[in-house]
Amino acid sequence: MSKDLKLEEPLGRVIVVTSGKGGVGKTTTSAAVGAELARRGHKTVVIDFDVGLRNLDMIMGCERRVVFDFINVIQGDAKLKQALIRDRRLENLAVLPTSQTRDKDALTKDGVEKVLDELRQEFDYIICDSPAGIERGAQMAMHFADEAIVVTNPEVSSVRDSDRVLGLLNSITERASKAGAEPVKAQVLITRHDKARIDSGEMMTVEDVLEVLAVPLLGIIPESAAVLRASNLGVPVVLDDPSAAAAAYEDAVGRLIGEQIEMRIAADPRRGLLQRLFRRAV
Amino acid sequence: MSVPHQDIKPRGSAPAASVKPFQIRGRYFTAVALRPEDGPLDQAFYAALDAQLRWSPQFFDGAPLILDLAQAPGLNRPAEIRALTDSLRSRDLAVFGVQNATPEQAAAAEDAGLIALSSGKDAPLNTGPGTRREIPKKLRPPENVLITRPVRSGQTVVAEGGDLVVVGPVSSGAELIARGSIHVYGRLRGRAMAGAEGDESARIFCRSLDAELLAVAGLYRTSENLEPELLNRPVQVFLQDGRLCVEALG
Repeated sequence: MSKDLKLEEPLGRVIVVTSGKGGVGKTTTSAAVGAELARRGHKTVVIDFDVGLRNLDMIMGCERRVVFDFINVIQGDAKLKQALIRDRRLENLAVLPTSQTRDKDALTKDGVEKVLDELRQEFDYIICDSPAGIERGAQMAMHFADEAIVVTNPEVSSVRDSDRVLGLLNSITERASKAGAEPVKAQVLITRHDKARIDSGEMMTVEDVLEVLAVPLLGIIPESAAVLRASNLGVPVVLDDPSAAAAAYEDAVGRLIGEQIEMRIAADPRRGLLQRLFRRAV
Repeated sequence: MSVPHQDIKPRGSAPAASVKPFQIRGRYFTAVALRPEDGPLDQAFYAALDAQLRWSPQFFDGAPLILDLAQAPGLNRPAEIRALTDSLRSRDLAVFGVQNATPEQAAAAEDAGLIALSSGKDAPLNTGPGTRREIPKKLRPPENVLITRPVRSGQTVVAEGGDLVVVGPVSSGAELIARGSIHVYGRLRGRAMAGAEGDESARIFCRSLDAELLAVAGLYRTSENLEPELLNRPVQVFLQDGRLCVEALG
């Protein structure tokens, strides 16, 4: 490990990845953002708050190494060090998996706060992968956040749910309840951006989404087969083969840590019918 | 009749003791003061009172009430005060005390089961309570509500006492409620209900109309029956001849 490289205090920034609606790409985003931050040299941990529907460890490719989990740590059955899984590809990356057998009631505010405080001592970025919905699990994931990445697809119901979540970030979080504290810094990440379907009017444009949500844009991730492929392989998309989605996540992470990167909408080149047939035949 | 909010602090002094089976604490609460003018408590008086009660029933419902006798020094016979107390109670008004009472009135009130509150007792010679009371009434700030960030889906903003001003967008699924008018400097996509207590002169103004529901004093229109040519335009919404009108601005 890189103990000797630790020259300064860890940043200890808690970032929640949330959306309201399910299936928009929260876990994919948590894994990709976590991996990209770690690759850039920041000590990063990704926590799965989706108690009972454990997915993050699969997408990060460490499900076979789960012994203790987040809930064990909250309940004092295991030490944090025992539950943290260090990534084999990136030494700065760790995963705190959740329990598949418990439910969200096992998350207590005090327990979550204690674990986050301990993680702040070691990590620069603590990524909280929120479950869908606005109930207990999602509220616990956002409660202690300093920043939020609100993941949304360019379609009406996803945008409306994201708007609801932005309201909660402004009202029920620790920063919202503490007088004088800066509000949670929220940014929107548009995923599954499909230019063809937007041009044909099936989906909302980026401008429409931003007009409703009225928060800064962190990035635009194109719809890409690479995302599904990477999840099935258990590799964060930024660590898999180069793709438009991976490049977009890299840009988004750059903006997250304060770099000025021009917004670009990339898409994987579409293969023609003949090419596709040819590939399949090979 | 005037109905100023009056804060009353009952005087309670705890005997010195280390272990007590109870606690005594100072308590402020709001009561309504009814101040009869000097004159006979006849039909006309009760008719005017009933009209007032009909106009704002929930305001008086269960509110503690005190009789302010500053303007009615002639109201001093025990029978009169008792009759007034009984008729107030029969209207569900929880009258419990008098203020600004002369010693004579205080005695009569006590006879009728009312307590005499100190504000009048200590100042029987106070001749200008009116002027002293007018000042806070005039300086009471307007009870408008100003919101300077987006009102998001699922949020409700209420301006109970006046106008509601939102500087920013109002999302679909958000709700604005105001006793007075509603002004939205941004796109209105949610629901807006002005004149929530029945004020028919209340209006709704917005910079860009895309509302789910617009209502003034209970009359409403949903997005379904808004003229499409008004959408995405600055509009005002008001009541005219019992109809809810939506009109483009400028």
